Amino acid sequence: MSAFRLQQLKSHILFESKIAAMSGSPSPLTTHVLNTALGVPGTNVTLRLYQQDTSTDVWQLITTGTTNDDGRCPGLITQEQFKAGVYKLHFETSQYWASMGQTSFYPYVEIVFTITDPGQKYHVPLLVSRFSYSTYRGS
Amino acid sequence: MKSVNSKDLQKMAVADSSPLTTHVLNTSDGVPGAKMALSLHRLDTRLMIWSMISVGTTNEDGYCPGLISREAFIPGMYKLRFETGSYWEGLGKTSFYPYVEIVFTIHNPAERFHLPLLMSSFSYSTCRGN
Repeated sequence: MSAFRLQQLKSHILFESKIAAMSGSPSPLTTHVLNTALGVPGTNVTLRLYQQDTSTDVWQLITTGTTNDDGRCPGLITQEQFKAGVYKLHFETSQYWASMGQTSFYPYVEIVFTITDPGQKYHVPLLVSRFSYSTYRGS
Repeated sequence: MKSVNSKDLQKMAVADSSPLTTHVLNTSDGVPGAKMALSLHRLDTRLMIWSMISVGTTNEDGYCPGLISREAFIPGMYKLRFETGSYWEGLGKTSFYPYVEIVFTIHNPAERFHLPLLMSSFSYSTCRGN
């Protein structure tokens, strides 16, 4: 086998194992921040995911993350942690606008939602401008 | 041109004098979000807790007049909480959101602020209007 062919095979194998490592199992809950004022992903937005304790109603912090260049934040929660219940996604939106030298009407955005079937995929995007925002349940 | 009768004048007289108003719209059914419970809160910055200012229910048009008086409307952080979960339950539907809370900052209370909520059982949006 030629050295070139060997190199090709090596890169295929390494690529596959990288995929396997990344997707141990992707988060069943995802988000996506979109800056609707500029028509770009909301990058570098700090966010936190909380789960509400069913007996005390206290919010437990599950993950803190920052959106990437695509406005996404992989690895929010593992399938094992993802139980039925009430969750909250907290987005530090005014920090985001401040980093661009702008003010915003909302100091932060919190979206509270109910997971009834943790076997499904849930996508909770945030479309945001300085003076508006919207969200929907995707999958 | 439509002439203004005494009924219109009466309506105008009791028009909402609150500097902060809201309007709930059911985008699934294309109707106002009527009879929805909601509450307005202001953040007490000394104690760092929310104190409730008013509680109300939207009328047939999805409005809730009298949220706050001009005098009480000082600069600060406010929260409008909409009992959307109960609303959809009342229509025999489940909803993804047990409630919706919109937190906003008022710097200049001399302005008017209109915060509509457009919602279905699986989506919602809001904006700053006046």
